[in-house]
Amino acid sequence: MNKEALQGIRILDFTWLLAGPYATRTLADFGAEVIKVQSEKTASGAEDNTTGYFNTWNRGKLSITLNMSHPQARNIVLKLVKISDVVIENFTPRVMPNWGLSYNKLAEVKPDIIMLSMSAMGQTGPWRDFAALGHTIQAFSGITYLTSFPYKIAPPSPGNDGGQTGQILPLGLGYAYADPVAGLFAVFTVLAALEYRDKMGQGQHIDISEYEAFCSSLGVAILDHTVNDNIASPQGNNPGRSQAAPYGCYRCQGDDRWCVIALSTEEEWQAFCQVLRYPAWSKEERFSNFSARKRHVPELDKLIEEWTIKHTPEEVMGLLQEAGISAGVVENVKDLANDPQLIARKFFLQIEHPVLGKSVSDNTPIKLSRTPARIRGAAPLLGQDNDYVYRGLLGMSEEEVSRYIGEGVIC
Amino acid sequence: MTKKTLNLLEGLQILDLTDEKAVFCSKLLADLGAEVIKIERPGGDSSRWLGPFWKNSPHPERSLSFWYNNSSKLGITLNLEVKEGQEIFRQLVNKTDVIIETFPPEYAKKLKLDYQSLVEINQRLILASITGFGQTGPYRQYKSCDIVASATGGQMYICGAPDTPPLKPYGEQSYFVASLFAAIGILVALRERHQSGKGQHIDISLQEAVAATLGHVFTRYFYDGAVSQRQGYYDRDGSFCLLPCQDGYIFLTIDREWDILVNLLDNEGMAEDLKDNRWQDSQYRRQHFDHVVEMLTRWTKRHTRAQLFLLGQLMRLPWAPVNSLPEMVNSIQLSERNYFVPVEHPELASSEGQGKRRPSRPLPNKGGSLGGPPLPGGGPHPPNPISVEGREGREVGDKPLRYHYPGVPYVMTGKYMMRRAPLIGEHNTQIYQERLGLSSEDLKRLKANKVI
Repeated sequence: MNKEALQGIRILDFTWLLAGPYATRTLADFGAEVIKVQSEKTASGAEDNTTGYFNTWNRGKLSITLNMSHPQARNIVLKLVKISDVVIENFTPRVMPNWGLSYNKLAEVKPDIIMLSMSAMGQTGPWRDFAALGHTIQAFSGITYLTSFPYKIAPPSPGNDGGQTGQILPLGLGYAYADPVAGLFAVFTVLAALEYRDKMGQGQHIDISEYEAFCSSLGVAILDHTVNDNIASPQGNNPGRSQAAPYGCYRCQGDDRWCVIALSTEEEWQAFCQVLRYPAWSKEERFSNFSARKRHVPELDKLIEEWTIKHTPEEVMGLLQEAGISAGVVENVKDLANDPQLIARKFFLQIEHPVLGKSVSDNTPIKLSRTPARIRGAAPLLGQDNDYVYRGLLGMSEEEVSRYIGEGVIC
Repeated sequence: MTKKTLNLLEGLQILDLTDEKAVFCSKLLADLGAEVIKIERPGGDSSRWLGPFWKNSPHPERSLSFWYNNSSKLGITLNLEVKEGQEIFRQLVNKTDVIIETFPPEYAKKLKLDYQSLVEINQRLILASITGFGQTGPYRQYKSCDIVASATGGQMYICGAPDTPPLKPYGEQSYFVASLFAAIGILVALRERHQSGKGQHIDISLQEAVAATLGHVFTRYFYDGAVSQRQGYYDRDGSFCLLPCQDGYIFLTIDREWDILVNLLDNEGMAEDLKDNRWQDSQYRRQHFDHVVEMLTRWTKRHTRAQLFLLGQLMRLPWAPVNSLPEMVNSIQLSERNYFVPVEHPELASSEGQGKRRPSRPLPNKGGSLGGPPLPGGGPHPPNPISVEGREGREVGDKPLRYHYPGVPYVMTGKYMMRRAPLIGEHNTQIYQERLGLSSEDLKRLKANKVI
């Protein structure tokens, strides 16, 4: 059996909520030893070890308890830093320095330590202490505003006449997408820093701003502004810069069932007409070539919907894909859980948790042929690895551990 | 003490055969200093025709999407569909660490660009393949693009409002996250290779990349059986909403901060019945959410985004203005952190462009400019308490032909790069002559035969 790709990398994990734990989970998936620092005093809500959320984002990690507000905790952390490769945290920037655990302090005991600090706005700048959720970052970045339809839609409530003033209402993303994005940048930069450390013998402090991480998903629109002064506007499901027609999201048979279709070549148009068995309208002048179709999008879409509405989205996708046309079911989470492609590729895995029992989780989408991710198991129970870490790794005696527990340091 | 610094990924050699699906992956690595050689077909890659364009005029050297996604790379042209081109390619494969490609699996096999064929040339090779549905499974031959990945990955269904069709998020988010996953896979495989001396094949599916970034959607389903729906302006669980202000929209969280919120309304005499005890119950609020929204909207509409946002941040509430793109670009936080970096475009004639436009410094705070000063009470922070070595300081000079790009979203020690995207075949001589030792006669012949 091959060794795991990140075997031998030890990560001291101070992360919480979503972005940070998502990052350390990815590293654990590939064999890094992730030691999550928790405390009985703070392990509630998203950090309650026996919830589905916690189990999802913390699988395969170890857990120790350490009361960071106790003055003796710091020394234990420094001992752990000495035997770790990486420290990752996603507090607001003041927290680690307040504990006496700034990068400089860590580097004093372990010169080549890699510390990654991820916060909403980064470690510097006038907004560094801002509070933010994934949705906050999305609103700041412009994507909440830009993810909407390019026309006014019904106002959301009696008190809101946004629709009547002709404003485009922002809709935004229905989930905290900015968090996993920031987490991915964290994993990426930690791995790059490990490469650098091995080559140069130097550790470093990585400073990730969730805001900047997310803005980089809008790079082309930003450049269009800084270069051309153009101002991006909501596009709905229009093809935007790619040239395509028909293109969009079409209603299918069933309740709230949809399929997307995207054609970009004349060849695909011919194949499309064939799948629809050449309805009379398909031969009309106004749809005869790409630019004509582009000029008659609303009529074209209406006619296509008359066809899609008679089929399930799975049928539409199957018929069109078999004919060489890009199409896809608009899947809700239940569709995803039953998606034959995802199932065939083992995108879901079952994990046995001592309290929660059997549960399903999404696997990593990073598929390596020789050293694939190997999920070690469920998320840890609170402090379940105290023995291994304190006595095994740090070599504390039983008395020492008892004393720390008695004094409220390990708890 | 000054330590020697190198590019973070100094020495890592990458051949880039990607289309728009993963062109950002090789950019991520190139910006960290890996040597990325982008291989385009003779005449230039089709992605050079993707808009928007410099000065809005379509031209293969003026695609801003090409510029952004190919910064810091080298560029050569090579026809992989002819024998001579394939032979040259094999020589390049022999010298490279990583190949990143986005071909349909069958096409790759036909051109002997599949992993089995390539590993015979170089067993240390790491190959990253990014396709719509992955290399295996019943849909592996299916076509995809951003909207198909967004739909099949579960993103579209939960974006939009209950009364609208599903909505694709702005930009090309599936390409963006698939590129990030692929780049991580490459660095993981690289670390492993230090031990084993062997490369491997990385198989990334756009569908899975999207599905793997859905936050709590799977957790809610697998543990609570909840199927996330489109909710648009506000979260039906009552935890947040987007509400209209005098000058746009504000993102408000309203669940845990209920008491603070009622106090804020009450200060302006607008809390009315929300002060009643029954509204303390979050269950009750959820059931009567329309009333909550109506009351809050009356209040938010009396204010600007900046007023509410600063008020919220003062109370440490994670509120934010719903920014337009220029508002984001001009935010003081990004400029103070030197997020934007100047990139030279010397080949664009100076007569043609001013080359100016860096994000303008925010105006002084005129009663609530969003780019305004830090929080009242928060006080200005000393600039850059940690090292920002590697992040170039802003160049203020108005030299022509320099544009401000979004830079790397992290601050690290070690150098990173940001060089403009290559011109068509710009590094042919450098790579073919210096690297492969071809003569200038060889190059002439290859050019005549349309191989390069």
